[in-house]
Amino acid sequence: MKKIIQIPYILLILLGLSTACSNSGGEPSNSFDRQAMLQNFAQNLIKPAFGDLQSQVNALKAASDNFTQTVNVQNLTALQLAWENAYVSWQFANAYNFGPAGEEGIRKGLIEEIGTFPISGSKIEDAISNNNANFNDFNRDARGFLAVEYLIFDLENDNTSILTAFASQNRKDFLANAISNIKTRTDAVVSTWNNTYTTEFINNDGTDVGSSTSQLYNEFVRSFEALKNFKVGLPLGKRPGQTQTEPQLVEAYYSGKSLQMIENQFIAIQNIWYGKAKGGTDGIGFRDYLENVEGGNALISSTEAQLTVIQNTLDNIPNTPRFSAQISSNFTALDNLHTELQKHTRFFKSDMSSILGIAITFSSGDGD
Amino acid sequence: MAIKEKTAHQKTSKQSSLFQYFHDKNSLLDDLQKPVSATPLIVFKIIFGALMIFGTVRFMTLGWIEDHYVQPLFHFKYWGFSWVKPLPVFWLYVVHYLMIVAALGVMFARGFLYKISAVLLFLAFTYTELIDLTYYLNHYYFVSLVCFLLCLVPNPSPPAPSPEGRVGVESDSPFGGWGAGLRGLWVKGLLIPHWAILIFKFQIAIVYVYAGLAKITYDWLILALPLKIWLPAHDTMPLIGEIFTWQITPYVFSWFGMLYDCTIVFFLAWRPTKWFAYFTVIVFHSLTGLLFQIGIFPWVMIGATVIFLIPSSPPTPEGGADPTPTLPLGAGGLLLICFFAFQVLFPWRYLLYEGNLFWTEEGYRHSWRVMLMEKAGTATFYIKDTKTGREGVVDNSEFLNPHQEKQMAMQPDMILQFAHFLGKHYETKGVYQPEVRAEIYVTLNGRPSKLLIDPQIDLMKETDTFTPKDWILRYEDED
Repeated sequence: MKKIIQIPYILLILLGLSTACSNSGGEPSNSFDRQAMLQNFAQNLIKPAFGDLQSQVNALKAASDNFTQTVNVQNLTALQLAWENAYVSWQFANAYNFGPAGEEGIRKGLIEEIGTFPISGSKIEDAISNNNANFNDFNRDARGFLAVEYLIFDLENDNTSILTAFASQNRKDFLANAISNIKTRTDAVVSTWNNTYTTEFINNDGTDVGSSTSQLYNEFVRSFEALKNFKVGLPLGKRPGQTQTEPQLVEAYYSGKSLQMIENQFIAIQNIWYGKAKGGTDGIGFRDYLENVEGGNALISSTEAQLTVIQNTLDNIPNTPRFSAQISSNFTALDNLHTELQKHTRFFKSDMSSILGIAITFSSGDGD
Repeated sequence: MAIKEKTAHQKTSKQSSLFQYFHDKNSLLDDLQKPVSATPLIVFKIIFGALMIFGTVRFMTLGWIEDHYVQPLFHFKYWGFSWVKPLPVFWLYVVHYLMIVAALGVMFARGFLYKISAVLLFLAFTYTELIDLTYYLNHYYFVSLVCFLLCLVPNPSPPAPSPEGRVGVESDSPFGGWGAGLRGLWVKGLLIPHWAILIFKFQIAIVYVYAGLAKITYDWLILALPLKIWLPAHDTMPLIGEIFTWQITPYVFSWFGMLYDCTIVFFLAWRPTKWFAYFTVIVFHSLTGLLFQIGIFPWVMIGATVIFLIPSSPPTPEGGADPTPTLPLGAGGLLLICFFAFQVLFPWRYLLYEGNLFWTEEGYRHSWRVMLMEKAGTATFYIKDTKTGREGVVDNSEFLNPHQEKQMAMQPDMILQFAHFLGKHYETKGVYQPEVRAEIYVTLNGRPSKLLIDPQIDLMKETDTFTPKDWILRYEDED
């Protein structure tokens, strides 16, 4: 009888021991240095991107000051070029809407504050004629880079009409204030990254919600989806309920630089995947992280195969005529781009978060 | 179940209350009605009520009433409960405050007030759970079941009317009952029928054993999946983080978890091992609580299993006392029999469906399948105007919060509900008799993602029933 009583005890002790056993049988395998990855992102991708944006915005401001001082074609062309450079540099910074560039109170993410499109021409014109522009309210479609673009580019490349319009002091003021607003917001982000946030970002190296990896990952996916849904899908009339294509909804409609921006954002997204600096130096990125987890290699090869397909589809779209015009003249090529981006979504969205064990929401999961 | 056990065993000498229960009694009914010390139940009610209050306050302070019930434009419904709608936010708060009051009632009230509290707690909690299927968690289901059982238990009663006629405590005033409940903790003499304790133990046993049996799968035991995916993500945890980078760790955790779940109630129920077993309960649930984002679940199990620790045998053996509060053999008894028959059988319904349970999830919920798989999907819905032939792609985040989208993208019944919502929504937006199809890519336990459902099927033509959904693609098929 005594022996029977002993059995459950022994079982229980065995169970307990089995945990202890792991100490002797263990060998390091699945170790990945997330901190090194975050370090690379901070030092070689994010900070340079915001830094670059800052200097381009400064150049934009200088060009604008020059232009409002002396309204002439030469200054306008310089301003347009400065805008293009600044907006290209924004494509490399627009995926990092967290931390200093994230939502806080009524301030939305940086991308909503300075990158909203399509803009509302009527809101902008109202604000100009009433001289009551407010760059901190809910009218995010009346400020930012694309509001500036609306003012300084003409759909028909008719610079003379722009020069005529800029006879108005209100218009000059609006332009100057819109650019100052972009500058204020960008400067704030850069300064926080330079002061305290870099260390905070690198040290917050877990995988829970709110960890740097999770925030970076979520914004990375959001950036990819924004590219697909808003830069390509919406003007192509891909939204349910749209009864036709709507070319006027493209990004950078007035300058016609839409395709260029799509291409640059796609490079920026791939840089995050590889952990590659804009200059080309390859560091630790999500790809390297995946190499170290269960199922990662299969995902890497399907992801990169599809990235190549997307690149080829992009390369098949000519630079002229402008993207918005090609929506009717070259629909199939653009539609292919949307299809291939769509096919890619799952690799970034669910497959990657699943095997990296990154938490997406705060809500509780099922317990054990 | 119990009857089968009883006939299957020979009478032997008593070793513990559990064995005694099966072996010593001539009549099962006698034993179920046998008056025993009410202390385990009283303690259980206090712990459970306190957890309910903690959970409710936590839910409110995290802003989850707004996040879960108010902000979403669309709510996923439980089958058969589509009539449950979220109340306006003010009333949702009222419901949550009521739950706190009701939980206090369950902890301390007696008599009529107790009954009201228990019923209220059950209804209010279950109502909030039924609002949106997205937030289904096995432990919320468990809480609902315990609330239901709490409605059925009789009030503890003194062994015999005392000379001073103190029985009147209960009936003096409803508020007299509160004090009496508190005192009940210390008055050892209070009795309840044995079944009023056994039902909770049995319910807990079902949870653990079924959770353990569910872990006996190839992926869990042989491949150590999904723990092989989940554990390395915790390598930064202080002190023990490094363990999660070792190759053997997921295997040890998988096997230990399975054996633990399958056997822990037996160790808890057996007097010589119960304290050690309870110690492992604390360690096990604390560890999983630290590792995974599972909210109050560890506290629920650590709290609920206390019922095993306090001896329930009557202080006076064979006291001959009348089984004062009897098992109502009519409606109540029948209700309990049906309840447990359902509990025992319902989790096995998956056997009636073809295909991989983890893939189709037909018969997955309400079966104590917890943390068994790593599954995620990307769902793309296409809305086609049947007049113009024009097809649009839905941006799910326009209608769903991230949690809803995540849950929907891998569960066929939720996919179907969302498809119907989208169809109706876009019809009002002018799309003519919309056809809704969905391209859903799902990854299971880190394997490359595959199509979950037939991407050509018009989901508007399908309805959600318990019959097999033939539009779910088979996991085994190669694509």
